[in-house]
Parts: sequence; C-alpha cells; structure tokens
Amino acid sequence: MNSIKKFKVNLENLSSQERTIFKKLIRAAELISSLYLKQKNKKYPGANFYPPDVSPEEIKKAARNNPSILNPYTFVERTKSGELEAIPYHIKFRKELKPISKLLEEAADLFEDKNFSLYLRSRAQSLLDGNYEKSEIIWLKTEPFKFGFVIGPIERYLDKLFFTKCAYQSWVGILDEEETEKAKEIKDIILTGRSKILDKSEKVDVSKVGIRVDKTVVFSGLIADCMFTGTNLPNDVRVMRKYGSRLTIFETSLKEKFDQDHLPIFQAVFDKKLQKRYSPKELYGGSLRCIISHELAHSLIRYQDAEKRLENLFPIFDELYAYILGIQRCGLAFLKGVFSQKELEAILIMHICRNFTWWLDLLKNPDVYHYAAGAAIASNFFLQEGAIKIRGGISWPNFTKLFICIEELCKILDYYLAAGKYQEAEMFIKNYGSFDIFKYFSPQLKKFIK
Amino acid sequence: MTYHTSEKIYLTAAGLEKFKKEYKRLQKIRDSKIIDQEELIRLNERIEELELIFKSYELIKVPPKNRQHIVNLGATVVVEINGQVDEFTIVGTLEVEPSKNKISDKSPVGQALLGKKEGEIIEIKTPIIHHKCRIIRINYQTQ
Repeated sequence: MNSIKKFKVNLENLSSQERTIFKKLIRAAELISSLYLKQKNKKYPGANFYPPDVSPEEIKKAARNNPSILNPYTFVERTKSGELEAIPYHIKFRKELKPISKLLEEAADLFEDKNFSLYLRSRAQSLLDGNYEKSEIIWLKTEPFKFGFVIGPIERYLDKLFFTKCAYQSWVGILDEEETEKAKEIKDIILTGRSKILDKSEKVDVSKVGIRVDKTVVFSGLIADCMFTGTNLPNDVRVMRKYGSRLTIFETSLKEKFDQDHLPIFQAVFDKKLQKRYSPKELYGGSLRCIISHELAHSLIRYQDAEKRLENLFPIFDELYAYILGIQRCGLAFLKGVFSQKELEAILIMHICRNFTWWLDLLKNPDVYHYAAGAAIASNFFLQEGAIKIRGGISWPNFTKLFICIEELCKILDYYLAAGKYQEAEMFIKNYGSFDIFKYFSPQLKKFIK
Repeated sequence: MTYHTSEKIYLTAAGLEKFKKEYKRLQKIRDSKIIDQEELIRLNERIEELELIFKSYELIKVPPKNRQHIVNLGATVVVEINGQVDEFTIVGTLEVEPSKNKISDKSPVGQALLGKKEGEIIEIKTPIIHHKCRIIRINYQTQ
C-alpha cells in the first residue's frame, strides 16, 4: 500500500529557511498518511467510515434523525446499545493531529509570505476543530504561493457506499512558473465559449478559476495511493460558486505516469505503424493536455443536485465527463488553430492509453474504481461505434469517428449529470462499463499485471 | 512570433500601433548600450524583423457599411459551433492571441468564415472534425 510517495525534485534554488519550512511541511504530510490508513479498508465498500455490518438503508434511516451520520468528516460507529453515532475526525484523531497542527504553526512562524502563513495557521486550526471550510476559503482567496501545499480530509473516493466521507491526504510541491504560464493560456482557451448544453450546471466565472503546475515533492494519503496527475478543488459546489476553484497539475507525478504507464501502454497496445508517427515528446504533450483539459472541464460541470441523485455512481460520470468534455474543448481549440492536427491526435491517443492505465491501476487499488469504470465506458463506446478497431492491437484509430463519439458522449453524460435518475445511470454503466475490452489485451500488458 | 516569408502581412490598426511601440522601446534599449552581446544580437534580430513588417504590411481596413455583414479580416464574430456560442476576432498570423480570442485567418474556423455572411450556416471541415457553424453576429471596430 503506497500511502506516501516521494518524487525527486531539485531543491537547490530554495533558501535555507525555505528548506527548513519545506521539511516541516513534508513531515506534516508524512504524518497524515497514518490517518488515511486508519480510514482505508479494501474489504468494505464503505471502508472504515461505517460499521462493517451496516446496510446503506440503515445509514440513510439514521441520517434522517442525525445528519452528522452523513457528514463528510465523521466516522459512523455503533454504540453499545447498537445505535449508530457519528464521531468527528478531529475528535477521534485529536492525539495524532496535534503534532501535525504544530508543524504547520511552526512553518507559518518562519514564512515571510503573510498570506501563506495565514493559510497555514488556519489549516493548523481546522485540523483540530473540524472547520475546514474557513481555511479552504483563505487558500482559494490567496493562492498562488511559491509552495503548493494542501493537507486534510479532502477526496471522497474511498467511500464507495455514498461518496461522502473524505479521506486524509496531503501534497507538497514547488510552483513551476514557466509551465504554469503555459497552462494559464490553455485555461483561457478551454474555458471560453458558453455551451448551450450545460444550462443546468453552475455558471463558471473564469476569472475565479486558478491553475498552477507544481513540481510535486511528496504525495501522502489517498493521493499517494491513487497517484493523481491533477486535481480541482474545492469539491463543495457551494464554496466553488462563491470563491472559485484551484487546479493543480502534478508535473512530477505525470512524468512518472507517462514514462511508466502511458508510453509503454501505447507501445504495447497500438499498431506498430501508428507508433512510428508520434514521438514520445508529442505523446507527453498529449497526456499533459489531457489532464489540463480534464481538470479545467471539472470547473464547467458542477451540478448542485447530481451528487445526491446519482449517489455512489456520481464520480463515474463526473470524472468521465470531465475527460470527454476536456477533449471536446481541445477540438474547438484545434479549429481555432491553437493546436495542430497532430497535437489533437496525440491527445486522443493518450486518452485511450490513460483508459488502460486506470484499469491497470484498478487491479492494484480498488479505490480508483470510479475512474476505471469511466475509462471502460469510453473505450467500449469507441469500439462499438467503430472509432477504434482491434486486430491484434488497436489499429489506426478513426479520428473522425472518435470525435463524433466524443460529441455524442458529451450529450449523454451531460444528461445523466444534469437530470439522470439513479436507475438509468446504473443501466448505462451496465451496458458500457465492461472491463473485458481491457482484459482482451492482458497478454500484451503482462508486464504491467503483477 | 517570427516573420520569414514573402507572404502579405495583414495588421489591424491596433496591431500596427503595438508593433510600433515595441520598435521604439527596443531602439531605446539598444541605444542605452547597457545590454550584453547575446541580448544585443537577439534585439537586433527582432528590430530587423519589425522593420521588415513595416515595409510589407497591409493595414486591415474596416469595410464600408454595406459590406459589414460579411466576415473579413479584423471582424469580431459571434458564432454557434456545435451548440456552443463563441466570440473571436479574425486576425493575421502575426496578431494571433487565442487566449484573448484573436484567432488566425489561416485556422480552420478562420478559413471557413472568411467571406461568409451574417446568419449563414457553414461547414467547418477538417480531417478530424466536421462541424456546422452559424454566424450570429459580425462586428467591426471603428478605427
């Protein structure tokens, strides 16, 4: 189990004081991983957030009288009399959180950037009192900082029962100014234009969407386990609407993923003739644009009631739609002359390779199920519509058909997120979510399957 | 932004003004003599490039009122492409700034729109994407 992941980053440009601060933040990140491990339990869909013997109906019933049962930051436990009660994280883990909070305070004392110090102090306090929103708002208002640092209970992928409970994670990184500027340009292009389809989604104020590319030094907790290459926070639509959102692209994580997964998968599953057409540099560019456009698209598809309506199925549609809409927007950028045809082809090819990566990740870690299910839906859709053909490997993709599929999927996914009912969403996953398409390639992917 | 070919260079009045300002600024820096050799080489290259532009540019003129319903260089166009409403200005290649909605006349959208009228539905055809595009509005900025 990878609850801490470290990346090699050159820190020579940091001053000695910055290095001291950095060490404290890294130590705090490392410590939070033990709390994540206490939340994680592969045996149960509700991990350790709920008692193992509880049914979803019992939880829903208890939550009617006691809403804290389904609060994102509580454990649900049984009392001696058998009733369900909610214990806030910050109370259950008070002893473990104290030294983490202290490290953040110490780092804040040393920092010259007043805004960053304010954020660190507020985060330190929130870990102990459970008021995470206050420090999240400070972060949203005052970013970007030289250091990329996030810590606390944030992502909900561990809770496969209700997609509600947040798992602990942290990351520490340094802003890559040059790559951030490039990403900002893509942001302005991808987020322009008003889509008619997205009427029911929250309207996006582009000026409130921030993006940064980080050279990440450490991942801890859920993010280390899932090895994300980008993120878009906050998850709370209400906070996002008022204060905007912040996207972080994890450059070091993406480079590792590309070298270890995306590129070797491309070489394993695609036709040899096609492989000769694209250099690794072009493919890396495709992978980077895939993740940037994916995270940006998340800002466009915030539907207030979708999580309640689709419950545990919500992240499957949410993540897949962000990928598909991101690519669709890249297509419009191509029409405007921003990307070349070859660059757009690389984005499409890398999307297909990333779909395989999610399945391979799923074999090692069930917590990425939502991503893998979405990847299967897209891949099966492409295959059924004749956009990709399998003859030994994936032969030359029909890029025109691929793009028609992207447009079609946009409409379908938009419907489910805007108005779809749980049962019909479930049926759609049943029809398109088979992992057989990936299993077919098991012989070629032997070296990835351990 | 580099200019190499003998193609015609189309510039908007605003674009020309921007290049003139850049030219003056670079000349000042060159005359100040406080730059190193490497920077001076780069500076001179850019100054030569700008001089070449000034020699061969053609100013994009706002068409007469009775021709303003047709898309020409310099037009700001509101279009609906595949359900998405978008707005951009069509400029020559030297003024392209996609993040500020200035797109090239050589881009697939630019090529498809030039010469078309307000209200027209046109097809943007590329080897990968085929889209229908409706021209909602055409505006020309008065100079």
